[in-house]
Amino acid sequence: MTAAASPMQRAGVLSRTALVHLTLGGYCLLVLGPILLVILNSFKTRAGIFDAPLALPTHDTLSLAGYARVLGDAAMGRMFWNSFVVTGVSLVLILLLGAMAAWALTEYRFLGNRLLALFLAFGIMVPIRLGSVAILQEMVALDLVNTLTALVLVYIAQGLPLAVMILSEFVAQVPQELKDAARCDGVGEFRIFFQVVLPLIRPAVATVAVFTMVPIWNDLWFPLILAPSEQTQTVTLGVQQFVGQFATDWNAVLAALSLAVLPILVLYALFSRQLIRGITAGAVK
Amino acid sequence: MSTVRLSNLSKSYGSNRVLHDIDLEIADGELVVLVGPSGCGKSTLLRMICGLEPITGGELRIDGQVVNELPPARRGIAMVFQSYALYPHMTVRGNMAFGLQIAGASRADREARILAAAKALHIDHLLDRRPRELSGGQRQRVAIGRAIVRQPKLFLFDEPLSNLDAALRVKTRIELARLHRELAATMVYVTHDQVEAMTLGDRIVVMHEGRVQQAGSPLELYEHPANRFVATFIGSPTINLVPATTQACSAAGIRVEVHAGCVVDAPTDGSALAPGQRVELGIRPEHLSVADGAGDPSRECLRFGGEVTLIEQLGESHLVYVRCADGLELVARAPGHTRLRIGDRIGLEADPRGLHVFDADGRACRRTAAA
Amino acid sequence: MKQKASWHAAVFLAPALIVYTAFSAWPLLATLRLGLYATDDTGHVAFAGLANFQKLLFDEHWWGAFRNAMINNIEFFAIHTLVQNPVALLLAALLSLRGVRGAAAYRTVLFLPTLLSVVIIGFAWQLILSPLWGVSEKLMDLVGLGDQFGPWLGQEDTALRTITLISVWQFVGVPLMLIYAALIAIPEEVVEAAQVEGAGPWRIFWRIRLPLILPTLGLVNILTFVGNFNAFDLIYAVKGALAGPNFATDLLGTLFYRTFFGYQSEVGSATMGAALATLMFLVILAGVGLYFLVIQRRLQRVAG
Repeated sequence: MTAAASPMQRAGVLSRTALVHLTLGGYCLLVLGPILLVILNSFKTRAGIFDAPLALPTHDTLSLAGYARVLGDAAMGRMFWNSFVVTGVSLVLILLLGAMAAWALTEYRFLGNRLLALFLAFGIMVPIRLGSVAILQEMVALDLVNTLTALVLVYIAQGLPLAVMILSEFVAQVPQELKDAARCDGVGEFRIFFQVVLPLIRPAVATVAVFTMVPIWNDLWFPLILAPSEQTQTVTLGVQQFVGQFATDWNAVLAALSLAVLPILVLYALFSRQLIRGITAGAVK
Repeated sequence: MSTVRLSNLSKSYGSNRVLHDIDLEIADGELVVLVGPSGCGKSTLLRMICGLEPITGGELRIDGQVVNELPPARRGIAMVFQSYALYPHMTVRGNMAFGLQIAGASRADREARILAAAKALHIDHLLDRRPRELSGGQRQRVAIGRAIVRQPKLFLFDEPLSNLDAALRVKTRIELARLHRELAATMVYVTHDQVEAMTLGDRIVVMHEGRVQQAGSPLELYEHPANRFVATFIGSPTINLVPATTQACSAAGIRVEVHAGCVVDAPTDGSALAPGQRVELGIRPEHLSVADGAGDPSRECLRFGGEVTLIEQLGESHLVYVRCADGLELVARAPGHTRLRIGDRIGLEADPRGLHVFDADGRACRRTAAA
Repeated sequence: MKQKASWHAAVFLAPALIVYTAFSAWPLLATLRLGLYATDDTGHVAFAGLANFQKLLFDEHWWGAFRNAMINNIEFFAIHTLVQNPVALLLAALLSLRGVRGAAAYRTVLFLPTLLSVVIIGFAWQLILSPLWGVSEKLMDLVGLGDQFGPWLGQEDTALRTITLISVWQFVGVPLMLIYAALIAIPEEVVEAAQVEGAGPWRIFWRIRLPLILPTLGLVNILTFVGNFNAFDLIYAVKGALAGPNFATDLLGTLFYRTFFGYQSEVGSATMGAALATLMFLVILAGVGLYFLVIQRRLQRVAG
């Protein structure tokens, strides 16, 4: 509120500000608390975890035993690799194929243009999981069960509808003059797309990345159904199995959870500003 | 309607002061225009009068009452925003009714006022439409209507014409002038366009870098600019400035040397100046005439010779751009029948009664004769 | 201005369409079709018309499980709608106020849980709420509510509510961001105009801000609906496929998983799973259809 105020109103504004910060700050504590608890306690000895769960690791209670056990298990590294590969490849392909589709749908006039757009948009609302029975049958038929490829294909199908929708908004904003000028110069359609349009929709990439990357990395369902083998487990699935196994080994469990959170936390710390800007820009649809 | 007095008003953001010592008195029913280039502080000042920006220092009085601490609604003002700021989800009627509902007006009263204002602004057939269904000009009238129905003591306009196309701007300007007369309302109007200011304002306040440069009637500002800034800001095309040196100064006139050996008497009060000072002569384009043939020998030193670089034909007159040998560039307004071509070498004669003198700090010397 | 179509368009569109059709659209249709088939004890699959659906809706055993999951899912959705979305609205409204210092920092923190894996969240909260560890009990002791603590996750009557609140905790970020984006999209001058007309903060919120973000609120609700009726991960992570205690946390998603893959002694049935998926699809379709055909249009009209 920027309106000028009397002293009494100013006091009112002050207490209102205090309330605002109390609410926001309070909820932030609720948000950070559990995460911090897990991370802090992952560095403690078993005794430290149980006796003083809220305390910071002290000289006596500091222990990396949990991490040792988790990291010693080579599986963790393989799981991280799997997750990176699946998420990364899916993301790149979703962006590429999605941008191409968005371009085709917004730029060209053809019969069924709108119908196809609707067809794709349908996928935003209807969860892909419902077709899992048939998807598994397909993968069996294609001999892709327990491969990362299966996951990538499914995630692309999952992520395309929303990506196409968001990218279409941005592609539609590319100035007509640029395209006309390029065409006048005799530039081919493919070059126009790759060299003129793609660079211009870079801001959209952040938005799509957020909405796409996180659900893929965190997904439990498809790794469980399509690629549950030890070789192909993703971090999310792996940790779930791992924790089930080591249910009573609290150090290891906490360490595993902390490690699983780490990549996201790091990425987030680095890119939070762009991420949020991307969401708030692209979400206004 | 009401009077407004700004006493020593100032505004700072932290340690950054953006408005200095603004003193202004606005009489009842006056239309005062705050004009100046971008960043001069005019919009900030308007928002301070409105109550959307807190006042850092000084006093603001409306109808004699100090209103510094009052919220906008209690100051009896209505504001028309540059972007019109209509409520997108309400109809035109809803937009105009909102403020009245808050004020607790009865439904009958509201309807009556809305209908009256809508009729006056020719938007009565749009009352059930939404803002997005209206053209720019219509939206603007709704914004004005919203202000009118509240029957405020003071109207504030923040660059209301800047979002309109040129033709509509002229038309709306005339309507605003008519509205002012009809309502006999006190209005404060902000614009960056000096033509708008000159045509609409009872009084104009020229602002620059957070200070009032001069306040006065349009003609006052035009004929007796207080400083170089006002002289160059008001008047289109811009006043010509010629460097000169003082030779003799008195209250009756200043003798200046314009170019080597050429001396001229400017009818301005030079009591504040001393000989040998650098000054600038200001000559408005209409005071420069194209000399024919020999010309008046007594005016020899007021003649500037040069080459025509550009001619802008306006129909009833021409603007002739001349570059002189010493690099001086001048603009003259010549009658429409004058036949000149680019490249012609001509002489421009200045009317001595139309001379302004500005000292090294840009301050104007008071003119004793008018042209 | 659209360009006339050429084979270029096809090349651009084809890859996306192929993958989408092959792995999303077609499987859905195939599943719907599979629901009309039945597997008998020899594993032979034959067309059975609506037999599966009859089983699901009328067979005591199946109907019981379906009804239980459905009711739980509705409660799951209700709690999200009543807790998650208002909380998100409140936080977004506070965040979008002018002059809140540290708004960027708050935004960053508040969005964090949404990024974390449900598995992590599930386990973290499980540990925190575990009576064995006693962290929650200690924390509640600090506020004097120590004796109110109970093994909520393990109790039949509180398990669903508890898990739902964990889900709310995690997913407040998404509606928060969407509503926040909508709020800051409201032009500042419109709010100022209301201030000049005498509107106080409450009135500005109810008469100006809220109406203008109604389409977003509608969107948030439908996204919550779809997400909730599809939920699986959290339950599976915390309670396993059996969604105990005694199916108290069973949702349509977990029921679907069990039906499809089987559990313990019961063998999985692809056809029954498909039938169940069809029913879930119809539920979601009904909700989405209702939203788009009825609600969204009205919201858009109000918001202008």
